[in-house]
Amino acid sequence: MIPTRSRRGMAAALSTLFLLALSLAAPPAGAVPSFARQTGMACEACHTVWPELTHFGRVFKANGYILDNLKQVRGVTQQKEEILELASLPPLSIMAQVSLTQLAKPLPDPSGTGDSQNGTVAFPQQLSLFYAGKIAPHVGAFIQLTYGSDSGSIGIDNTDIRFADLKVLPGGHSLIYGLSLNNNPTVQDLWNSTPAFGFPYAASASAPGVPFGTMIDGALGQDVAGLTAYAFWNESLYGEVGVYRTARQGTAGPLDSTQAAVLAGGAPYWRFAYEHNWGRHSIEGGLYGAKFKLLPGAGQPLNGPTDDYQDVALDAQYQYLGDLHLFSVTATRIHEKQTLNATYAAQLAADAGVGNLDNDLTTTRAFATYYYRRKIGGTVGFFTTTGSTDAVSMPNSPDTRGWVAELNYMPWLNTKFSIQYTAYTKYGGLSDNIDGAGRKASDNNTLYLLAWLSY
Amino acid sequence: MRPLTVTTLGLIAALALTTARADDVDPATHQHAVRLAVGTCGACHGTTGVSGQPKYPRLAGQNANYLAAQLKAFRGQTRGDADAIGYMWGMAAPLDDETIDALAQYYATQRPPAGRMGDAALAARGRTIYEKGVESVGVPACAACHGPDAHGMGDFPRLAGQHAQYVMKQLASFQSNMRNVAVMHGVAQGLKEEQMRAVAAYLEAQP
Repeated sequence: MIPTRSRRGMAAALSTLFLLALSLAAPPAGAVPSFARQTGMACEACHTVWPELTHFGRVFKANGYILDNLKQVRGVTQQKEEILELASLPPLSIMAQVSLTQLAKPLPDPSGTGDSQNGTVAFPQQLSLFYAGKIAPHVGAFIQLTYGSDSGSIGIDNTDIRFADLKVLPGGHSLIYGLSLNNNPTVQDLWNSTPAFGFPYAASASAPGVPFGTMIDGALGQDVAGLTAYAFWNESLYGEVGVYRTARQGTAGPLDSTQAAVLAGGAPYWRFAYEHNWGRHSIEGGLYGAKFKLLPGAGQPLNGPTDDYQDVALDAQYQYLGDLHLFSVTATRIHEKQTLNATYAAQLAADAGVGNLDNDLTTTRAFATYYYRRKIGGTVGFFTTTGSTDAVSMPNSPDTRGWVAELNYMPWLNTKFSIQYTAYTKYGGLSDNIDGAGRKASDNNTLYLLAWLSY
Repeated sequence: MRPLTVTTLGLIAALALTTARADDVDPATHQHAVRLAVGTCGACHGTTGVSGQPKYPRLAGQNANYLAAQLKAFRGQTRGDADAIGYMWGMAAPLDDETIDALAQYYATQRPPAGRMGDAALAARGRTIYEKGVESVGVPACAACHGPDAHGMGDFPRLAGQHAQYVMKQLASFQSNMRNVAVMHGVAQGLKEEQMRAVAAYLEAQP
């Protein structure tokens, strides 16, 4: 039996873990009718059902969001040099999410007695303003500002500013190349099998999410700035390399010991993928990864040892686009090797519990999606995270697994109504008594109703 | 219904299709059109107009006058089949006449695909309809306007090697008048689905 004092300590640690899980739970969202207004094409040209991209949507993104079929305001010099090309309408969109979250069992109240309220309404869960479209010839952007009811404030959300150009190669092949300045590793990616625009495209912000995740899996979103260079040959072979650096919000900097988890130097990012299209089918396979060296900060000067996270991931995607039936599968497997020099040294110095110097985490997700006439459809899939047990940070192992099922109805292409159910069979290494107070993994099962409107 | 004569068909078609001609284009416009064709149109139609996706028509070797007329119909929002509205109205909106002509020339000069034979028996029935029509319901021979080898004639489009699914969808659009072309509405309304399927299979198999 666990002593009471120790149990309280574990409960506190797990409360922190729940908070972390909540912060990881709200995924980014992307659905921007401004692209439709700019291109004059219906959503279906670029999306199976948003935000999942079709091949044309991937090419549109690689080309820098600049395809523009609106009337232009132009400026030209006497030498016939074009110095301005502005669309007659700015590419603006708004997006609103309203949700209701019902847990299988309410979370314990932080006071230690009773439960928190179940059936959380978020109105809005997110309200976003987008600038999504062309800025100038060869330059385009996807910039999202979001008010979230969880933070109660407006902040920068996913951002991807691009320069892109095209070369026509012998044989009629194309080479699209460009630069992306973005704030979330993989937000610039073209496929929906990578984290930033991977399923689930929306999830509750008030339900416990997967408690442990790899760095490249959204942990650094909106906290970094990355500059990457990419090339897309013949709309099939894709390569990208770049560097990320901490770009903290809420402070002008320079960053100092008052900040926690700051990247040391630049973190290299890389991505390679191959896509093949035939008939109504499209298949992709790829690799992506990064190495993040994090300075712990939080009272310690920003030098000295770092916690290193080496992420290497596989991904794959298949799509079938029929006139009536649409089917797709996305999958990824991310392996992370952690070498926690800073944390380990600090634990040794504090002499208050020592974890591992080296840890590993592996996250696997796979989802299958079907839609009938882009009206009604849904997704089912599973997720697992496994890894080493660490006496301090992951005392019962990080193992978490479960499945998600979602049903969607879209009366119009820019309106989506969803019922999503997430079930856990293991949570933070345990199936039962996950918080030391009798809570089961399945008590975190979540029913989530969502109205998602974009204009 | 009274059968339509070839002469009547020709007259109606001449009115239905615009009289634009895709003449020679200057080098700068040609380069611009090639970039558009490879970098933008190519994502769906294939960089040389040989679309691998049956949703999107193959354009390689297509009659330039027909292509120019269609792009102008998209731009003017007068061609109203579903994919035209969802995709091509927006795509064609910013194109000027010179670019349209250059795009039409680009595709007209690309090597058309070899035919792909699917169901040979179905294609054989389609050949009969293509060459002789269906007299009992007033459907004239397709070959009268589209040519004996289905390579197109004058303003009439090339159909050889076209995706069968695309041909089927267009015939259905002519039938319902979503794609409002009087001559083809007259031709297609007498066709049963099985007959359309046969003609489409025959055309897809033609080089």
